[in-house]
Amino acid sequence: MIFREVEDRDLIAKARKGEVEAYNLLVSRWEKRVFNYLLRLVSNREDALDVSQEVFLKAYQSLPKLDDAGRFGAWLFRIAHNEAFSMLRRRKPEGEMPFETGTPVRGSELLPIELSLAVERALSRLSEEQREAVLLKVYQGFKFEEMAEILSCPVSTVKSRLYTALDLLKMTLAPAILRGES
Amino acid sequence: MSCERYDWKAYAVGELAVNECREAEAHAASCDGCRGELARVRLTLETLSMLREEEVPRRIAFVSDKVFEPRWWETFLRPSFAAACVIAAAIIMHGYMTRPPAVDSAAIQAQINQAVTRAVADVQQRNADLETQLTTLYVKSTGIKYQ
Repeated sequence: MIFREVEDRDLIAKARKGEVEAYNLLVSRWEKRVFNYLLRLVSNREDALDVSQEVFLKAYQSLPKLDDAGRFGAWLFRIAHNEAFSMLRRRKPEGEMPFETGTPVRGSELLPIELSLAVERALSRLSEEQREAVLLKVYQGFKFEEMAEILSCPVSTVKSRLYTALDLLKMTLAPAILRGES
Repeated sequence: MSCERYDWKAYAVGELAVNECREAEAHAASCDGCRGELARVRLTLETLSMLREEEVPRRIAFVSDKVFEPRWWETFLRPSFAAACVIAAAIIMHGYMTRPPAVDSAAIQAQINQAVTRAVADVQQRNADLETQLTTLYVKSTGIKYQ
């Protein structure tokens, strides 16, 4: 991880000097993570791909403004967050994301593909903010402080969103046996 | 029911410091409620990890690709383009300010006509003078009055 961080730093320095290939390599390294994050956030493959493209274009144009090359990941995801939410704002009116409590999943009975779909469904039932907190922590492995930076909010808000989301997901996803059902 | 003092979600997502982790683990060893809560959080996270990571359907464009080229309006912001515009504007202004006054062809034609009329009159006058001189000379030399 540290080695990778140093490499990214080196690539960023080269990209800043106008070495196109260095930036192309950065894109190759981060595109899958950014795409998956956006896919779960906007719930549409084409939109996720379009926004991913915008994210890497904006990042390239803003590269001279990046203060600390060691925080490239959080910086990139901050751009992704901003792009995704401006797209979501354009797409639908504010506050149109009702939370639904879905049918609990009986995990032990499901195949991996079914489980994956169940997780996808459970995530889609969270509010955008809760879902994003889960995506950044569980799937992208960012620390609370980095998440606060990405989302432009206090660490306490980040924790609150994540914990509420995990409680809701626990209700939806936990196998019946652990919830005391027979 | 878990003990409020221990944040099992923070523990499970790796946000506790090493000493806090040790303390929490020691407590969980002797507390059924906290063990149960930790197990539920872990199970939730394990289930979440079953979500398949999707491949990017087509590659994100590279810097060298067309999509990274500046948009049409960005072309106007390029220093070289702006400098070219300034030079072109200067040339046009210079040409406009130093060009000759507008030509009035009717006035010129009138001037030409006037000059031609004057020249014809001069020639006729000169011819008349010459003829008078010749007549005088002829009368003087022959004594015959020229008719």
